Amino acid sequence: MRQTYGTLLPGMKLSDLAGKLIVIEGTDGAGRTTQINLLRPWLEELGHAVLDTGMTRSPLAGDGIRRAKEGNNLGRVTQSLFYATDFVDRLENEIVPALRAGFVVLTDRYIYSLMARAIVRGVNPVWLRSLYSTALKPDAVFYLRLGIDRLIPRVIFSRGFDYWESGMDLYPGRDMYESFCNYQKALLAEFDRLSAEYSFEIIDASPDAEDVFSLLKTRILDVLAGDSRMSFVPQLAREAKQKLTARNREPAPSAPGAEAISELELVFRSFAAAATRQNGNGDGHTPAH
Amino acid sequence: MDITSNVRMGPFEVFVPMHSNAAAPREDGDGTYPGRLFIVEGIDGSGKSTQLSLLHKWLEAKGFGVVFSEWNSSPLVKDTTKLGKKKKMLSPATFSLIHATDFADRTEKSILPLLRAGAVVLCDRYAYTAFARDVARGMDRKWVRDLYDFAVKPNVAFYFRVPLETAIGRITASRDCLKFYEAGMDLGVSDDPQESFRIFQGRILDEYERMIPEFGLTVVDATLPVEIQQAQVRRIAKAHLEAAKELRVRP
Repeated sequence: MRQTYGTLLPGMKLSDLAGKLIVIEGTDGAGRTTQINLLRPWLEELGHAVLDTGMTRSPLAGDGIRRAKEGNNLGRVTQSLFYATDFVDRLENEIVPALRAGFVVLTDRYIYSLMARAIVRGVNPVWLRSLYSTALKPDAVFYLRLGIDRLIPRVIFSRGFDYWESGMDLYPGRDMYESFCNYQKALLAEFDRLSAEYSFEIIDASPDAEDVFSLLKTRILDVLAGDSRMSFVPQLAREAKQKLTARNREPAPSAPGAEAISELELVFRSFAAAATRQNGNGDGHTPAH
Repeated sequence: MDITSNVRMGPFEVFVPMHSNAAAPREDGDGTYPGRLFIVEGIDGSGKSTQLSLLHKWLEAKGFGVVFSEWNSSPLVKDTTKLGKKKKMLSPATFSLIHATDFADRTEKSILPLLRAGAVVLCDRYAYTAFARDVARGMDRKWVRDLYDFAVKPNVAFYFRVPLETAIGRITASRDCLKFYEAGMDLGVSDDPQESFRIFQGRILDEYERMIPEFGLTVVDATLPVEIQQAQVRRIAKAHLEAAKELRVRP
């Protein structure tokens, strides 16, 4: 059964959360959003219902946080709690219901980014762990890791420096570049510590987006393959295998890596199609007769 | 480490969580504040705000630099709380977190710096209100206490103790209708606001009773005449102010 990091919120039931919770983490400019924009249509094509969510997107606190950040007078504890409010609102009203309905939940950042940002600002790490002990343990955390040298050009030549992303509240240096380097270095160090503690799967984010995407796809298919709802369809697995065998008689596709992915894709397509056939309500829970 | 062990960090005590692996007291230089912090607690209708207002006037008349801070009053968070309450979007968890955000903003921007500057700070409701209400809504007792670990421990926390029936009598006499969250309607214990309010306030009262020994609250019998209660409050406040050496006076 699914677990939290230690605290169960009132009214939250952890049974029947059959979906998959997949976290994409990484510092600013590591390409998280790009990857999620690629992953979502791919997962949907495979037949999975997808919810994507991310920081400050809650109807309750999103606008409040944006307004508070405009003023640049948000204290570090206040900031942590405001973000926690936003997170828990999305956890209770989006993430948990989606998991219950069997969705794949793709989240752009999770508690780890919030913890890293607060820790570098001097907030007590033990207090943060208690605060976020209400979070669900995800099925996988993919940490898109990008060193500071690679990160700088991406930021400079895309959106430019931002007050908070440059940690101007923390390192009021001579200019934003100096602050940015100091802040992002501190964040990277904190992410590396969290990575060990929470067993992130580290993905090197320096190659092209397409290559990172390919790698993420194989890793995510592994996560989805562990889905217990799929075990009821051995017949379908045989069918899928037959199709694969038939396909393999055709001329070999270019890259061997790509082939492996497309084979798995085919299996999942079959499963997804079968699941839709078997239960009209589409929630994917009904076992085979 | 037990919370009742009252570890002092200078004249102020910092909330120390039950377990030693929870958050450590935050560092504030040598951990001492020249100011003094008095707070009042009690269920709605206990008369705590009346008592605090009388203390406020008396302290000002004596020439102290006094600052007042009220529960749920941070301008930074106001719109979010209002939205959540109006649209009934708040769960027990987000209700707890948004009030903690409000309290953190007031702590970081006003309570803490004012105490460092040597002011007398008066708070109408404090973290104990959250401990009572959030737990009455089903939040984990330890989690809520840890959440407010950043709060400065008051010099005196006055608890105005009143029987449930007396408080309800005072509230219903002065109010036309009860608000949704005020009556604890979000708990779904009763469709009748009056009945829901009674059950919710009863739970809150139980939590306050538990906190008296846990946090060493100073109990004031709120059924006594206003003047007698105020005399007690002033006597206790005076003792704490006399011990303080670096208080600001009003310009």
